[in-house]
Amino acid sequence: MLPSPFEFDRPSTIEDAIRGVGESGDGMFYSGGTELLLAMKMRVIHTDRLIDIKGIFGLNRICLNEANDIEIGARCTHAKIASDPVIREHVPALSSLCANVANIRVRSVGTIGGNLCFGEPHADPPTLLAALNARLVLIGRDGTRVVPADDFIRSELETIREPDELLTLIVFPCPNGPVTYRRFKHGERPSVNVAMAWSIDAGKATIKGARVRVGALGSRPQPLKVVEDALRGLPVREVRSAIEAVLTTALDELEVNEDRHGGADYKRHLAGVLLLRNVEEAISVGGGA
Amino acid sequence: MSATDNMSAVRPDLIEKVTGRAAYVTDLAIPGMLHGFVVRSPAIHARIVSIDTSAARSVDGVVDVLTGDDVASFGCWGVVLKDRPIIAIDRVRYVGEPVAVVIAETIEIAENAAELVNVEYDELPRATTIQEAIMDNAPLIHERHENLEDFYFKGGARPTQNSNVFHTYRNSVGDVDAAEAAAAYIHEDRFTFPAISHFAMEPHAVIADFRGDSLTVWAGAQTPTAVQKVLSRLYQLPLAKVRVIVPFVGGGFGGKASVKIEPLVAAASWKVQRPIRIAQSMIESMLTCRRLGADITIRTAVDAKGRILAKSAKLLLDGGAYSDTGSAVATKAANRIMGPYVVPNLRLEASAVYTNTIPGAAFRSIGGPQAVWAKESHMDNVASAIGMDPAEFRLLNFASRGERIRPDLRALDMDMGELMGRVTQSFAAKAQSSNRRASGLAVAATDPANTPISNAIVRLKIDGSILVSVSSIEIGQGAHATMARIAAQTLKQPPSAVTVLRTDTAVAPYDWGTGASRSTVVVGLSVENAALDAADQILEMVADVWELPRESLSLVEGGISTGSEVLTFHQIFHRALGVDSGEVIGRGAITPRSKKGALAESPLFWETSAGLAEIVVDEDTGEIHVPRYASAADVGRVINRVAAEGQDEGAAVMGFGHALHEALEFEDGQPINATPIDYSIPRISDVPPVFDTILVENGDGPGPGGAKGMGEGAILPVAPAIANALFSTYGIRITDLPMTPEKVWRALQKRS
Ligand SMILES: Cc1cc2nc3c(=O)[nH]c(=O)nc-3n(C[C@H](O)[C@H](O)[C@H](O)COP(=O)(O)OP(=O)(O)OC[C@H]3O[C@@H](n4cnc5c(N)ncnc54)[C@H](O)[C@@H]3O)c2cc1C
Repeated sequence: MLPSPFEFDRPSTIEDAIRGVGESGDGMFYSGGTELLLAMKMRVIHTDRLIDIKGIFGLNRICLNEANDIEIGARCTHAKIASDPVIREHVPALSSLCANVANIRVRSVGTIGGNLCFGEPHADPPTLLAALNARLVLIGRDGTRVVPADDFIRSELETIREPDELLTLIVFPCPNGPVTYRRFKHGERPSVNVAMAWSIDAGKATIKGARVRVGALGSRPQPLKVVEDALRGLPVREVRSAIEAVLTTALDELEVNEDRHGGADYKRHLAGVLLLRNVEEAISVGGGA
Repeated sequence: MSATDNMSAVRPDLIEKVTGRAAYVTDLAIPGMLHGFVVRSPAIHARIVSIDTSAARSVDGVVDVLTGDDVASFGCWGVVLKDRPIIAIDRVRYVGEPVAVVIAETIEIAENAAELVNVEYDELPRATTIQEAIMDNAPLIHERHENLEDFYFKGGARPTQNSNVFHTYRNSVGDVDAAEAAAAYIHEDRFTFPAISHFAMEPHAVIADFRGDSLTVWAGAQTPTAVQKVLSRLYQLPLAKVRVIVPFVGGGFGGKASVKIEPLVAAASWKVQRPIRIAQSMIESMLTCRRLGADITIRTAVDAKGRILAKSAKLLLDGGAYSDTGSAVATKAANRIMGPYVVPNLRLEASAVYTNTIPGAAFRSIGGPQAVWAKESHMDNVASAIGMDPAEFRLLNFASRGERIRPDLRALDMDMGELMGRVTQSFAAKAQSSNRRASGLAVAATDPANTPISNAIVRLKIDGSILVSVSSIEIGQGAHATMARIAAQTLKQPPSAVTVLRTDTAVAPYDWGTGASRSTVVVGLSVENAALDAADQILEMVADVWELPRESLSLVEGGISTGSEVLTFHQIFHRALGVDSGEVIGRGAITPRSKKGALAESPLFWETSAGLAEIVVDEDTGEIHVPRYASAADVGRVINRVAAEGQDEGAAVMGFGHALHEALEFEDGQPINATPIDYSIPRISDVPPVFDTILVENGDGPGPGGAKGMGEGAILPVAPAIANALFSTYGIRITDLPMTPEKVWRALQKRS
């Protein structure tokens, strides 16, 4: 199947890109095209104009900045993130996530920005980025705004991004504790995934704070507040028992869609399994105890 | 030898494929060719109230729009039951059924204009599952059943009038009731099996060129002569005026067997009298045909020692909206649920029913996976119920070589115990590793419908090169390389001397078709005969011209040895014909009367397989891993080892798909995962890291050099072997496929 006819534009600046999309009706940004073109071919997305953002310089940089934040350009492909030395060193969980997303063709052209902006609930990066407390930089006609990853996806296939806002950058504090991520999938997309990021005190014995996100169950990643509360200020050696004590309550609070990925009870159970496996990994790699 | 020579020696088509030079239907351009895009039914079962094509027709570049009104007068077609219109006429019976074809200068124009075709439907009551279709007051999907006896297969369908049952096959031996009355133990199980997509890499694509009273079709058809016959009947053209050309084909697995979209594309070309191509997308091909789902009840009675006294099975197959070859699938499912055991009393009943879903079709080992899933899972259940080891239970009940498992079928030509032993040894040979590793076994013996009807032409040229012409198609399985080897071996020439022509019915002689594991045996024999005929002619020429006794002459590479010297083919033709040119044309035919009737009995050989799977289950998630698998088959003789092993592995991997991943799902008749994204097949990473293929060769098959057919059997044991491993080690019995993690997890929850 083929897409309906469309115009094609490749601007070289962010300003031109934004203007290009905003000009009339239904122009869309085109990055790797791995979601967009499929949807256009299946004729579920109709657009009369694609604004290719590949020609914009500087959107695919990765660095650790002076504020000790990691910056990832929205045009970075999964493959690039997977092999990037900064990411490998500081957030190996993100590097391996990107190394295992989709298939090799999608990884080599599909971008992290495209993944986030598509708002697909059965996705990997949004869950981990939310656990990492990432901020997303959006540039539109009226200027720049920075939104927390937690707030970015509004519902299934819908984000808070305006059609003419370009996602340029993803920024998050360089982790100071173990970051773990696991997904379960049987088929093309993850059925459930769980990301957990701890910040650890200098002695590596106590958890100062933890962010835990469960993805793919509802329309967007959900925090496991009960678990986060239980972990805050906790000695690492007490983690297992503390989590076991609150796990059922925590999982019950999750919103879970019944879909082709399985019944709600099963997926809720899987979230618990993945969380406990993340905990074991966090204890062994970073928790010290 | 260079790497490319090496590849060519295995399969001459490989270099063309990996370099992208191989031309498939979508690579061909016929001068003046138009493009068709099919408008499909979104309705499950509905009357067509109206079709408005005016907006589509007014689009620049649209040439015409084909609808049911254009072709109603041609009537219906079919290969067993005549139940199928060329395109929906007044009614649609499944989601995806073609209702119009927009014909345009480019495919883009056709597809865009297709959105403008406005069809109004009036919904009809529907029957979307086997259970709904067999209810007393079920809506009839076809009002009448018209059987075409001996049209494609020997025999035909046995439909029940005024019902959705389009075929019922029964066979019984002995007295099951009496045997059950005397039995020490009786066990009954019920299993179900889903619809499964063929998922060939190349979707259906056909070019048709109707010109006056002749029709040429380019199609990836597995059975070009069946396509030719159906088109000839439908459009009232002499067979000699219908030409079917088969270029490279990107897989079929039965999904391109019998006849599929060829009549539709021909109708579009007929309407505008220009060549037209319809090239379907993957999604459209998923809506075109699929394996038949099944609901199977099976019961076995045993005596106190564990010997089988009686077996009965009732199989219901979901044939979808049009019968295609579903009747044969049902019959074969009944035959394939028996063996390879001695069962003195037997009662089989298999029915195929219409439902308002995608039409069912032949698929690698027709009816086999459904039947073997049920029977081999059931065997372990019976063994467990009587406290016997499942392997011992099988060994005790195997029919031996030379024994018949049913009086009307050929005696077994292999030793099932040996095959089972070979897979077990394969595991034993490798160090057994630790905890919680489970293994399960399954075996199968199936009766391929090999149809011993085939012709071949082998032409020996003056320079010693050889042309082979057959209707077998090269669909990726390596059939043409095998034919080349058979011709080369028979004529004592190197395989590189042989070229096998791509199939074109204008040149290739009649053959039944490519399927049912038959080509190596049946077509192979006709190639062997044709080569012998060519040899005979050239030897006769030498004997005649050189005035030598025939007995002193023999073929050698490049020519003929007289005992004292070697005459090159050049020398022979030159002196015999007076000019430096010429060829001999050998003709070979196989019929049920060949070899003194030895090929007539069914099956021609038994296709066998044994599979042993080792599994590890993640009990927290329900996920099954298969670290090791062994597959054994008795193939008589291996002609091309790389190709034969590839066929065995490929079939088994398809079996992993059936076992763990695949089901084409419908919700009230609506397909819900008929896209390559939502439908998942195994990937290379799902293939067991240790995979052992064991090919048993006793040179005792009916084919060239004692070969038997192969390529389908290995799909059969996979699912039951895995299920049996789950049963013996994890204590759960899964009765419907696929064995998804969720299903396994739920069963584990219930157990504990
Ligand atoms: C077969 C397959 C399997 C997949 N499996 C997985 C999986 O397991 N897990 C997973 O997480 N993902 C999976 N994906 C999704 C994959 O990660 C995305 O397709 C990819 O990252 C999208 O990036 P892209 O650059 O191609 O986006 P595009 O297709 O170019 O764009 C997607 C959408 O985002 C918009 N957009 C893109 N970039 C920007 C930007 N910078 N600013 C504003 N809007 C923008 C576009 O307008 C469009 O609406 C899979 C995809 C495929 C095709």
